[in-house]
Amino acid sequence: MNRFNHLPTLKVDSASKIAFVYKGKKYYGAKGDTIATALFANGIRIFSRSLKYHRPRGLYSLDGECSNTCMEVDGIPNVRCENTLLKDGMVIKEQNVKGSAQNDMMGFIDKLDWMMPAGFYYNTMHKPAKIWPIAMKQIRKAAGLGTLSPDFDMPGRYDEIYPTADVVIIGGGPAGMTAAIEAGKKGLRVILMESRPWLGGCFEYRSREYQNRQTLNERAHQLANEVNALDNIRVFTHTSAVGVYNNNLVTGFQIGQEEDPFTERYLEIRATSIVVAAGCIERPLIFDHNERPGVMQAACALRLAKTYGILPGKKAVFSVGHDFGLEAAIELHDLGLPIACIADIREDGQDPFLMKRIQAKNIPFHKGWVANTTHGQKEVKAVTLSGIDGLITKKVNCDLLVASAGMTPVTGHITVNQGKLCYDSHTNFFLPKEMPEKMHAAGTLLGLTDPVSIETSGKLAGLKAAFDCENCSIKDIGDAKKELEALPGPARGSKLVTAPVQGRKSFICFDEDTTIKNIKQAIDKGFDVPELIKRFTSAGTGPGQGGIPGHNLPLYVAKYQALQDISIKPTTVRPPLVPTGISTYAGTNHKMFKITPMDDMQRKDGGIFRNIGVWQRARYFSSDLSCKKEIENVRSNVGMLDGSTLGKFRIHGPDALKALQRVYVSDMSKVKEGRIKYSAMCNDDGCVIDDGVVVKQGENDYYFTTSTGRAGQTVEWIRYHTRYDGWDFSLVNLTDSMGVINLSGPNARKVLEKVVDIDVSNEAFGFSEYKAFKIQDTIPVKAMRLGFVGELSYELHVPSSYMKAVWLMLKDAGQEFNIQNFGVEAQNVLRMEKCHIILGQESEQRTNLLDVGLGFLWDRSKTDTKTVGTVALRQAESDQSRFRLVGFEMENNGRAPRDGSLIVDTKVRGYVCTARDSFSMNKAVGMALVEAPLADIGTRLEIFEDECGDERIYGKVVKMPFYDPSGQRMKM
Amino acid sequence: MFLKNKPMWGKRTKLKSSYDVVIIGGGLHSLATAYYLAKDYGITDIAILEKNYIGFGGAGRNTAIVRANQRTQYNVPLYKEALDLWPVLTKELDYNLMFNNCGNLNLMHSEAAMKAARMNICTAQFHGVESHLIDAKEAKELVPALNISEDITFPIHGAMFHPPGGIVRHDAVVWGLAKGAAKKGVEIHQQTEALDITTKNGKVESVKTNMGTIQTKQVMISAGGYSAALINSMLGIRLPISVLTIQAMVTQPLKPILDHVVSSGAYHCYANQTLKGEIATGAHMDPWPNYTTLNTAYYIKHQAEALSEFLPALRGLKFMRIWGGLADMTPDMAPIMDGNDQVEGFFMDCGWGYFGFKSCSAVGKYMAEFIAKNECPDILKPFNLKRYQDHKLMGETAALVNYSPDN
Repeated sequence: MNRFNHLPTLKVDSASKIAFVYKGKKYYGAKGDTIATALFANGIRIFSRSLKYHRPRGLYSLDGECSNTCMEVDGIPNVRCENTLLKDGMVIKEQNVKGSAQNDMMGFIDKLDWMMPAGFYYNTMHKPAKIWPIAMKQIRKAAGLGTLSPDFDMPGRYDEIYPTADVVIIGGGPAGMTAAIEAGKKGLRVILMESRPWLGGCFEYRSREYQNRQTLNERAHQLANEVNALDNIRVFTHTSAVGVYNNNLVTGFQIGQEEDPFTERYLEIRATSIVVAAGCIERPLIFDHNERPGVMQAACALRLAKTYGILPGKKAVFSVGHDFGLEAAIELHDLGLPIACIADIREDGQDPFLMKRIQAKNIPFHKGWVANTTHGQKEVKAVTLSGIDGLITKKVNCDLLVASAGMTPVTGHITVNQGKLCYDSHTNFFLPKEMPEKMHAAGTLLGLTDPVSIETSGKLAGLKAAFDCENCSIKDIGDAKKELEALPGPARGSKLVTAPVQGRKSFICFDEDTTIKNIKQAIDKGFDVPELIKRFTSAGTGPGQGGIPGHNLPLYVAKYQALQDISIKPTTVRPPLVPTGISTYAGTNHKMFKITPMDDMQRKDGGIFRNIGVWQRARYFSSDLSCKKEIENVRSNVGMLDGSTLGKFRIHGPDALKALQRVYVSDMSKVKEGRIKYSAMCNDDGCVIDDGVVVKQGENDYYFTTSTGRAGQTVEWIRYHTRYDGWDFSLVNLTDSMGVINLSGPNARKVLEKVVDIDVSNEAFGFSEYKAFKIQDTIPVKAMRLGFVGELSYELHVPSSYMKAVWLMLKDAGQEFNIQNFGVEAQNVLRMEKCHIILGQESEQRTNLLDVGLGFLWDRSKTDTKTVGTVALRQAESDQSRFRLVGFEMENNGRAPRDGSLIVDTKVRGYVCTARDSFSMNKAVGMALVEAPLADIGTRLEIFEDECGDERIYGKVVKMPFYDPSGQRMKM
Repeated sequence: MFLKNKPMWGKRTKLKSSYDVVIIGGGLHSLATAYYLAKDYGITDIAILEKNYIGFGGAGRNTAIVRANQRTQYNVPLYKEALDLWPVLTKELDYNLMFNNCGNLNLMHSEAAMKAARMNICTAQFHGVESHLIDAKEAKELVPALNISEDITFPIHGAMFHPPGGIVRHDAVVWGLAKGAAKKGVEIHQQTEALDITTKNGKVESVKTNMGTIQTKQVMISAGGYSAALINSMLGIRLPISVLTIQAMVTQPLKPILDHVVSSGAYHCYANQTLKGEIATGAHMDPWPNYTTLNTAYYIKHQAEALSEFLPALRGLKFMRIWGGLADMTPDMAPIMDGNDQVEGFFMDCGWGYFGFKSCSAVGKYMAEFIAKNECPDILKPFNLKRYQDHKLMGETAALVNYSPDN
């Protein structure tokens, strides 16, 4: 096909060829082509088949409002070919066809539409019930457009940026550019987002006169130059704004070009003010076979010629409802497109200047006429026109029908940000009635068609945005308003939705094959609001969302129900306003875990890591997941555990003690200097949420630990529960700045005394005592003698920066004893043998302090402190139906049950928290939460494991702890 | 299918001045309760009051997953019955609810999670519900698109596989129940807002609406995310409910790639393929109480990041629509079903969080029994409001739920 190559508006370079593969054959397009325009230039007219009826579909618009040109490109399904730029070597395939789009064996379904009224699925295929599973398989196969392999690996690099701006302008057309220039001139930082590859919007491809013989195209270039001359305007082309959220957060994505280091990049922009100048798309005209290939919208036909250099047909008929349609007809006629006739929906109101030109060119013109149906097997061969009352008809041969009922303002950016629209009878638009705070609309979406009005509305919006940024006077805004008011206002919009047809083959939604008849059926069935009709008929829920039916559906429903203008409500538009890739949203997709200071050393030592909450921790140190060696080493020798994930806090100030009294169940006034106090926190239901130790560092100065999982919430928790008291204390989260080494085992003292200068004998530093000292006069250490694993044990809290140093010192000192690492799982078994609980393992959300046997921590005498949870604890004290934590061992030397197994009789009576085959005890032991009547020592527990069928295993309740009941080993 | 189209839930009628039962809210629980009141107890003088249109709230915003693999013995039998009712209702209502019992695969990412899953599985098996713990390889066989490599944020250890679960066409349930209820004489009043409930001597007397006042002795509020505020403003009963926004989204439609519902607690994400071919996904909640259905930028990005990791093939897809709904969360993730307690003749069915859809069929049946007999059925007894006053949470989740600092 010969393409124009000298038009000033062209965006393709026919001389630079781009090779691509379509259906296995090699084709060439021009540089600047979209995939669809390249195919069109190669004579391809049928791009796809529709979802339900497999009707042939072609190029209809160029902005991706429907799935007509969705194809598989380089393995990626559902690519909108009409606005995806062609790249060298692209491989393009058709979707959802048996055979080809040209000859689809499924095409016969189109004749079966009578079997498929709106919502027919709901009334069929369920009787008898056994046919449904078979039918469902077929439905699944038939549904969906593209295919994706389960091992598909999305190519490309995805990036994300988070700029801020004073003003974000959505839409780089004349109004958007003018707004940008106005705000830019005020020195504001402006971001201009334009989804097409260039600025210019609806001026770019038009040769109509702007002023003083300057064409709109030339004017667009002039404005673009002005924009580019201002350094404080950052222009993003190839960039769609897809979401607008609270407080002017705009999201979008940019498609990378050859020179860009990214394939696509996600943008999230926080703006002080937003100008929406997203323009209009065309409102489809609905008549029989209104989507047959060969039918296209006015701007699509015009842009094919003027932007891409392709004449859209050999002989055209126009059926339009606006002056832009007439303008397009004239321009295309001048480019050599024979026009059989123009049918204008409107009886009157045409632009006299355009009418004069049409007459001068002898193009037959019918006022008050409309396309009624198209003819042709797969492509348009002829069209029947009629008066809008449908009485007189006339058949005209043509291969192109330019059909467009009116314009549809692109207001999605306003409504997703909670702006309210209202039906406007003059324009037939849903116009913004209540704009969101600091958001302004401009340009053709307000119904303006006069070029100067469009720009002036942009100027006004730009100034309003500047005002939001405290950079513009009220007077300037007033002047711009007056300027705009003196110019031509919004044009009258045509109201016609459908030609006078029954609507059996009149498609209101292309993606879902929804016809006018389907809409009537839905309304008759009682689905009387557009939102319900949308759900019932699927109209507007396909790949193009509301692009095709969004405006027509509420208008048609109102017409069918004979509603007053005031009750016409638009359907809801939802983000993303343009389909956006999962890979694009994911961006760089970074992992975010906290690591302890010992991370790399622990990995070098063979640690097997797991993600535990926000941390990564070494769970095992060998592939033996029962951790036999690690456990035995701690029981008989000495081991080291990295406990740095423990929550660590300092609380100080005159009221620090009061705050501790509020959240801990124990009497914290009994915390003595040099001693450790173990206690727990409960929530209002008495459920244990945390346990840890508290030490007194000085007057009104405490240091305390929380479990790993609670570290993030503890400050907030204490603040919240003291919020009405006005107490004076400071709370510092030291979790990340301090590391913890747990040195445990009978040889722990021998190792420690080689490293520290203080006396660590049992007499000088006994069990449950606390000491702060320095190693080599330099490294501050807080040392606690605890017994979590049930052996002689020191917990050393060291500043993170010194962690490695102290660790290495201990490792060196321990070499003669063959000191070893132990991980979280070994600790888990060690402490289980001691029946020391871990919250979350021996407790769940409903487990209270008493249930887990920690009631001894609760000081009932401190009544005046309003300790969190004590009201509930008092209530629970006498409740026999609660769970109790018990220890058990297995009968007949049986193996340990799997964690999470149930304790049952005829009902569920409890469950196994942790159970292991204990190397130390030489038998299987564990802890379980059971109902109180089963908690007595000696009670036989019936254990139900997963997949056990009728088999049960049995344990019996025994005394806790299992290991070293007198606690000699940790006190030695 | 060849019959002439008649309004499925009757012609619009004028609100009468009295009804035996008034139900506030036009969602699934209301419709199901009305349906069973009419069907099982012959009580047909019922008005359902819906401020918007039926199915406007959670009924039309959920992602339609059904399952019965909950944690406690109180919940599992209820959800099991709900699951068993889908084919029954399809037949009774003569309306295809499109139950796709494809099974649910709940991914586990740590040893601790496997333990937690085992408790659910044991509870399910103990109650005769099929559910199995499987390893990562078996999970991959079921869902070939799954990424079971170690090199992701939360490597997959295994999964809880629950074959009888699946997805049901949620809108069909709304319309089917409405059709069934209306056919038996229940009146569904859309665009009718309940404004107040008046009581006398601790008994329900009337319901005020924007269309006039209705005399009634029994009224139920089951208005999804709006229930807590309505119950508080109308009757002064404070409920321990935080209303959070939960969002869901769908991709462009695709030929079959996911044959099961896949979900992951660690990634806060579920994904399933609808019969139309879209991948429906959601689950994460912004952790602040809210009363709006607004979407957030953070959410859709989070979802993309999560899917990129455990179902990386889906990176080739595009999201086309995201929406928000309300989840009324209780401290123990279990609902509140109560009646005749605070006020005689007043019933409530709320606090469902994001479990309202999967439970609606069975709950409708038992709430109907409750209302008809004025006596709480045994199966609903554990769900009373008083359990919070007694500090006896139900234990439906293992971990503590934390929506706000006061739980």
